[in-house]
Amino acid sequence: MNLSKRLRTLSDTGDIIREEILSPEGIQEAIAVMARDIAYRCAGDNVAFIGIYTRGVTFARRVAAELKTQGLDYPVGTLDISLYRDDFDNRGSELPRLESSDVPFALDGARVIIFDEVIFTGRTVRAALDGLMDYGRPAKIELAVLIDRGHREIPIQPDYVGKKIGTTRDQYVKVRFHEDDEREGVFIVKKRAGQPHHPA
Amino acid sequence: MGERTRLFKNGRIASADSSDFREADVLVDADGLITAIGSGLATPEGSEVIDCTGCLLVPGMFDVHVHAREPGHEHKETLATCSAAALHGGVTGVVLMPDTSPPVDSGNLVKSAMDLVSEVSAIPMYQSGCLTKGREGNEMAGFSGMASRGVPMLTDADRTVACPDLMRRCMEYACDFDLLVTSHTDTPALSKAGVVNEGRVSYRFGLPGIPAISQELAIDRDIHVALHTGARLHLQQLSSARGLESVRRAKEAGTRVTCEVSPQHLVLTELDIRDYNTHFKFNPPLRSVQDTEALVAGLIDGSIDLIASDHAPHTEFEKSSDFGSAPFGATGLETSVLVLHDRFIRTGVFGWDLLIQRYSDAPRKLIGLEPVVIAEGCAAEFFVFDPAAETAITREYLRTKSPVSPFLGETLAGKMRGTVLGMAWHGEE
Amino acid sequence: MSELKPRKDLLDIESLDLEEIEYVLENAVPFKQLFQRSVKKVPTLRGKTVLNLFYEPSTRTSSSFEVAANRMSADVTNFTISSSSVVKGESLLDTIETLQAMRSDYIVIRHQAAGVPGIVAKHTGASVINAGDGYHAHPTQALLDAMTIREVYPEYKGRKVVIVGDILHSRVARSTSTLLHKLGIEVAVLGPGSLVPGGRHDFMTRLRSWDEVFDWGPDAVYLLRVQMERQEGQFFPSIAEYHKMYGMNSQRLVRMRELGAYLMHPGPVNRGVEITDEAMRYERSLISTQVENGIAVRMAVLHWLKPETDKD
Repeated sequence: MNLSKRLRTLSDTGDIIREEILSPEGIQEAIAVMARDIAYRCAGDNVAFIGIYTRGVTFARRVAAELKTQGLDYPVGTLDISLYRDDFDNRGSELPRLESSDVPFALDGARVIIFDEVIFTGRTVRAALDGLMDYGRPAKIELAVLIDRGHREIPIQPDYVGKKIGTTRDQYVKVRFHEDDEREGVFIVKKRAGQPHHPA
Repeated sequence: MGERTRLFKNGRIASADSSDFREADVLVDADGLITAIGSGLATPEGSEVIDCTGCLLVPGMFDVHVHAREPGHEHKETLATCSAAALHGGVTGVVLMPDTSPPVDSGNLVKSAMDLVSEVSAIPMYQSGCLTKGREGNEMAGFSGMASRGVPMLTDADRTVACPDLMRRCMEYACDFDLLVTSHTDTPALSKAGVVNEGRVSYRFGLPGIPAISQELAIDRDIHVALHTGARLHLQQLSSARGLESVRRAKEAGTRVTCEVSPQHLVLTELDIRDYNTHFKFNPPLRSVQDTEALVAGLIDGSIDLIASDHAPHTEFEKSSDFGSAPFGATGLETSVLVLHDRFIRTGVFGWDLLIQRYSDAPRKLIGLEPVVIAEGCAAEFFVFDPAAETAITREYLRTKSPVSPFLGETLAGKMRGTVLGMAWHGEE
Repeated sequence: MSELKPRKDLLDIESLDLEEIEYVLENAVPFKQLFQRSVKKVPTLRGKTVLNLFYEPSTRTSSSFEVAANRMSADVTNFTISSSSVVKGESLLDTIETLQAMRSDYIVIRHQAAGVPGIVAKHTGASVINAGDGYHAHPTQALLDAMTIREVYPEYKGRKVVIVGDILHSRVARSTSTLLHKLGIEVAVLGPGSLVPGGRHDFMTRLRSWDEVFDWGPDAVYLLRVQMERQEGQFFPSIAEYHKMYGMNSQRLVRMRELGAYLMHPGPVNRGVEITDEAMRYERSLISTQVENGIAVRMAVLHWLKPETDKD
């Protein structure tokens, strides 16, 4: 495959890239800023991170790693929210594979920050809140996202935002991390025909 | 449909003697007599012309194993619907099984059955009588009364006389009247809970199986008793290769034994049962590929004397329950000729001559009737068959009351144009 | 996302692809993890109805399904129909009409006649789960058995499992052996000649004695529940003789220990028949794990199947 064609598509879905919102450097910068923000606002608290599968987990781990360099060691748990989604009837023809949720610490009394890479309608975070509360009763729950692309359908707002962007409803925003994907960056893409889409 | 002269033009006449057909027109007069056979016959005035171009004229078939269900089970079938089904399938005469309600185990019951037949049936039907009272297998039925009414055979139809001593006495006494003893060969102690052939299919389906020895042992027993008593024995519904072997040996030893096989046992195996489809549930059950192949070979070489459908109507409701509970059997009168043509005649395994020998001549001979031929001076008794057309076996196609057949949904090669029986033409207008 | 096509019913193991089997077994793992939480429920099937239709009594399987459905937040209704109130054939179609009118999302059905779950599945848009039909199949049992084996043997391909007892009348033997074979596990059977059917699958090697079994070297021994009284007749002389010939007793336990073999049983156990009290305490018994996995697997199955709700 020639280089220019490779640069124009996302290798995992074949979607065509229209615009690059954040480069890998941009992502790193946003993470650094967010880490400082969290360190400041959460000083002294019993903090735990929970990443939403799949890339929310990567995001949470990146932020936690950044904080570790500043001497703050916050544990990172993972959450699969498929069983809490509100669109079970509309599964269509895809069969979701469940991941193991892992919350290896007591939530009671903790200040939990939920991490997801993009917030859109807010439904994923709503599902995550339900899932999280079935593990225990945190003292406080906050939300950190790398990208807020607007168009909320539920009154949920992030507490920590990497970058806020304006999008139209029909656009697709994809966050890619090199831990999970071939290429890193935040992109607006045009969907390859026939691909399923779950608004986050 | 009623009394007029009919000219069957341009057909090919099949017969038991030759695999060749005679191309000729056949003229049947208003009394149902074949008055002329020849090429280019003139059309008499006022006569109906039936164009038989490309079609065969075949002597009517005779089925010695038919359950018409009347009296007692008219929800499944009546004599009238059975008669219509037979004509629709090219069958111009049947032997009725005595497993009605009440069972036909006395001369009076034979008479009432025959009276009913003459009222409602368009074809001759011969009522057989039970071997034992009520088909219970305990006491002999009244043979002399039934013999005087002309029963063609004695049988307990789908039940075996389990006690060997009673079977012996029945055969000895039946000899006095030269009555044919017809046996549903089965060993109840071996088949009791079974619903399908015992083997790989019964394993996979998790159903209790009927081992082949259930029939094989019974065949051996009945053959020995027949040889010992000198009785004439007819074995129903052969299903296994070993059973056929026993019959062959018995014939060689001079036993007066004949046997029959059904179209379903010639054409289907246990592997054809899919999805617990109860239309494939038979007694005796469909068996293995090897058994089926042996039966076909036996039919061709004459070890198996004749074909009989075991036409066993049930309501769709009865057949819709689970495989274990559903009653055994399916209809056969309307599909037998079509299936045998589709699977064997069309493919050249055997010809119309063999079919006529096995499903028309031999069955009639079994009960002492003359064979039916298409010849000048004979009563007209034949069907017109178009081998080039097709028939979709659907509920709408079937004239029987019971839409139960393992061939439902299949399209078979060949088509029944109609059946002539004497003065009546049961077919396309 | 997977390329698997969704399925409406789970009627047997034979019709499942390896891919589907892997999917369900892998998904069962996160469901099992939920049992560690204080809140063991997830809201996935909230508002959905699960009908437990049991024509044969079974507290074990029906309660397992009930717990599984409850943990998915579904509404569960239990119908136990005793065999005396069932008129053969008649009731089945009538019952099906009733079921259609109830518009259940899932129907779990156990029946003494093979093929009945399939008939029900054809006549309703609900997802039908076969909880055991006659001697034919018990697919969720097979799935939980496979899950259990994979837990103790993550490299399960090529492992050996021997099934002991009345193979002829056992739907568990049929389904579990078929599934293990699909997964690449070697299957053998041990039992009396009158209870090991000749028509079984070729891959089910017949071993003739416990000595032969231990020489063969099983990684797991799967004991079947044995029932002496059968209406079709007598298949074996007595319980005492069965226990002597085929029961898991202390001597055989010694060999089990040497091999490090695991012990399994679908339950309920007949102590003194298939197994002694001592053997029940065997440290490598997976019997209670099987029960736990049963709930997880049944949750995964409820999650996987897709009713056709516009069909009714």
